[in-house]
Amino acid sequence: MRPPKPEVMRGIIGGADFRCKIRNWEMNMGSKTIQDILYLQATTTSPTSEVVGMRIIENGEISDGPHDPDDWPYQTVLEAVRDGWRIIKFPELALMLDDSRTYGLGFEFILEREGRL
Amino acid sequence: MRQYDCEPTLNDTEVLEFCKNGFMMFEGVVSEEINRRTNEYLDEHDGMEPTDILDEDWFMDGVIKHPAVAGALRSLLGKDFGLPNLVSNHRIQCPQPAQEWHYDGGDIFGPQLNYIQVFYYPQDCPRELGPTELLPGSHFLYAQRDMTKHLGRIRGSYHAVSPAGSIFLTDYSIWHRRSESWGSGLRNNVKYNYWRTSPPTRDWVIDPGFDPATADYTFHGPTFRKQFQDCYDAAEMYFWLRGEHDKFELIGGQGWPIPGNRNDVPYGVPEGIGG
Repeated sequence: MRPPKPEVMRGIIGGADFRCKIRNWEMNMGSKTIQDILYLQATTTSPTSEVVGMRIIENGEISDGPHDPDDWPYQTVLEAVRDGWRIIKFPELALMLDDSRTYGLGFEFILEREGRL
Repeated sequence: MRQYDCEPTLNDTEVLEFCKNGFMMFEGVVSEEINRRTNEYLDEHDGMEPTDILDEDWFMDGVIKHPAVAGALRSLLGKDFGLPNLVSNHRIQCPQPAQEWHYDGGDIFGPQLNYIQVFYYPQDCPRELGPTELLPGSHFLYAQRDMTKHLGRIRGSYHAVSPAGSIFLTDYSIWHRRSESWGSGLRNNVKYNYWRTSPPTRDWVIDPGFDPATADYTFHGPTFRKQFQDCYDAAEMYFWLRGEHDKFELIGGQGWPIPGNRNDVPYGVPEGIGG
């Protein structure tokens, strides 16, 4: 199995065709990808604020992470971003518009990265 | 409905602590003999709702009306509080994964305290047997019940690790789950509710040194709320329990009930509040 042509790798051939070729190449190389998900609840909307809750889905497996918060992989959302995670959902600010009530747990960021099976 | 009355045992500070945390633990208060009989009963009646255990005098006297616990309930629910009429047993064979976070169905969020949910461990419940994990202060966190199911580890959560015979009282709205277990063996966790039958009033143990104007309403831990909301919430609940919710009012700013190193009483203390 040959890799995609150089023009494909450089993105000259774009859009769905490009993604399809890359996926086919990866699958044929035995490196199928899977979406990993990281839920992080922070104390504020800032990605530098302290993380107060976490759950991770890696390789299709759900984990709450280490028992001790000091051992969690990321203490801030920014640390996760620096480690290659991409934010795909920012905190739902509509929930914060009612100043008289607190809805849910902190400010939730949802992040993803590409894992490999 | 069966009701019960006894002397209250909590003072103002302890009542306020319940308001702040949303739960109160009584470690190892039930006798070894009653724990043994309870475990035997639950082995013979291993269903989800062994309510008939309430017909056993030894259980009613040794657990349901245990003086230390009943005194706290009397303090929080008032005189002639209603006794449980339903018993659940969260009986699991360990090891088990953690349960999803939730609060129990039927909950109504707010400062009112019209019922208290109680858990009783008739056997030791170390960390490896999956004790109930509570989120202190979460009885003030409004959330649609099914929006908490994706949550995992939470900073500041409390594992109710405790010896046999422990009982803990909870605000019905508190977020909780069975924590993961990695030990082996059977674990019973008996659950039931007590009910208010009289209007709230400050008829617990009066602490003459307690001043609602300067009391500490701060929650010491992650609050998951905007700054000082923990103080507002605890103060409102405490006033509701005093039967003075109509007097509860906030002026905001640096006024009552937020903490501060003042040289006088805070501004905004509700009028007509006694010590």
